[in-house]
Amino acid sequence: MATSVNYGYVNARIRGMKSRLLGRELLESLILKPDTDAIITELGKTPYREEIEKAAVQHAGLACIEVALRMDIARTFRKIYSLFKKEMDEKYARILLNRWDVHNIKTILRGKNIHEPSSEILGCLIPAGQLDEATLVELVKQPDVRGVIDLLATWRIIYSLPLTQHFKEYSEKRDLAVMEYALDKFYFAIALDTIRGNTDDDRIMREMVATEIDVTNIRSVLKMIRDRIPIEEAQEFLIPGGAVLDEKRLVLLVKAGTIKDAMKQLAGSPYEFLGQVPEETFKQEKISVFEKELERFLIRKGTGWFFGDPLSIAIAIGYVWAKFTEVTNIRIISRLKMADVAEKIIREELVYV
Amino acid sequence: MEQANPTRMELIRKSAQIKLAEQGRDLLREKMDALIQEFFRIMQNVSRSRDELDAMADVAQQSLLIALATDDPVTVKSASFATKRGLSLDITGKNIMGVPVPVIEKKRISKSVFERGYSIISVSGRIDEAAEKFEGELDLVIGLAETETALKRIGGEIQMTRRRVNALEQVLIPQLKSQAKYIKNTIDEREREDLFRLKKVKKIIDRKKKAPGDVAAAPPVTPSSIVSG
Repeated sequence: MATSVNYGYVNARIRGMKSRLLGRELLESLILKPDTDAIITELGKTPYREEIEKAAVQHAGLACIEVALRMDIARTFRKIYSLFKKEMDEKYARILLNRWDVHNIKTILRGKNIHEPSSEILGCLIPAGQLDEATLVELVKQPDVRGVIDLLATWRIIYSLPLTQHFKEYSEKRDLAVMEYALDKFYFAIALDTIRGNTDDDRIMREMVATEIDVTNIRSVLKMIRDRIPIEEAQEFLIPGGAVLDEKRLVLLVKAGTIKDAMKQLAGSPYEFLGQVPEETFKQEKISVFEKELERFLIRKGTGWFFGDPLSIAIAIGYVWAKFTEVTNIRIISRLKMADVAEKIIREELVYV
Repeated sequence: MEQANPTRMELIRKSAQIKLAEQGRDLLREKMDALIQEFFRIMQNVSRSRDELDAMADVAQQSLLIALATDDPVTVKSASFATKRGLSLDITGKNIMGVPVPVIEKKRISKSVFERGYSIISVSGRIDEAAEKFEGELDLVIGLAETETALKRIGGEIQMTRRRVNALEQVLIPQLKSQAKYIKNTIDEREREDLFRLKKVKKIIDRKKKAPGDVAAAPPVTPSSIVSG
């Protein structure tokens, strides 16, 4: 077991943070609130108070809640990152939090590609990863896609590598998806490369990342089947390194031709629950239903790590997933309450951890 | 009322005008009937398309709501940045009973997830579904734009034709008929006067013939003497 002394402190802090997560009862009480203002008042009595107060200066109603949630998630994850940075090698925190960097870089590139105003792009960024707000603001200030990539390369930010490599292809096709695929694949490749060691932490992290790759690949396979993508092109959209499903098996899933047949092939794997969705979901080819099931699976697996080795990265993984789920749940409740959606449907959309 | 010369030529001219106006009115009525038929045919399509559009809009809003709630509005907005902004449409025209109506080329707006400009790896199926529903809605809106414009123009043409028919029926034809009647009455009156005058002359001549001795003493026949009897 590596650096258990450091984990003692960091995990104690994270456990403390976990104890402040909202319980099921509080989510239930939010569902029963009559309107958005009542939800804001209730959230003001929770650890979200500070962010709610800050957000309320500029926003009201639903926007206030959503901005506060975004601020809270950014602050929380940056706090975890700084805890890891101070106490030990932050490589695990990087893997956990860099997905927000990928999201931010993609958003900036998309915005620059269509010459969206900087304020609009900035409003869509979540500075919860390694790239802080000042860095993101500088990136947004660049005049075009090329400028953003050049600045990333100048600052030696690793995500400039896939972007530089695929910039020519993007310029020829004028298709940003080319760079986005490269960026997504690079994120997972780097993550797997970072944790290829034999320590317990590496093993735990590898299992989590590989499961995420599986889930991502299954989602892509479902989309490919539904949109009848030729088998030859399928590999372009698959990420290597899954826990259970390798590339060969994924191609076989695509070859199945129908979602039902593909899901039958998952029998015996941890994803066989996908074959048990209602029959009409197969007929309608409604990917979101499968996706919801996959997300529930991933969240349960992620938060399940919290009960793993107390002196390992498992606690941080569990907390990140639990926090992310909580924020999602509050957002779902606020949005759906405002739209006057029935409480039963709201409960169906939530994932309890 | 326009002053008309009470002459036979004028009466013939007015009769011809009445005939032409009545022919025009009948033709316009036929056109109006045909336009009304076309109008109702298109209206059935429009109301069906409108119902479809309403249903699609509801579903699209529902999908968007779920995507915004679960994936965060900033993620949805970020994905929207990746899609193309413009939409080019080819519009030509056709004629329905002389009414120019637009024909919008049926171009499929709905795209596959691989054509939306973002990586499918990081964008959730909920966002894809919302995009798909709104693309479907856009397809319906374009189709509806064509039929609704046609409906509007045909409706306008029906109104205009009705006004023309009414103008012919209520104003021009009665006016022409009244002018023709006036001319006819005037001519008849004049004919009756002439006949009366001739009869009077004949009477005077006959009277003179009966009393040949008084011929020299009788006053000469003048128009005023005929009228006064």
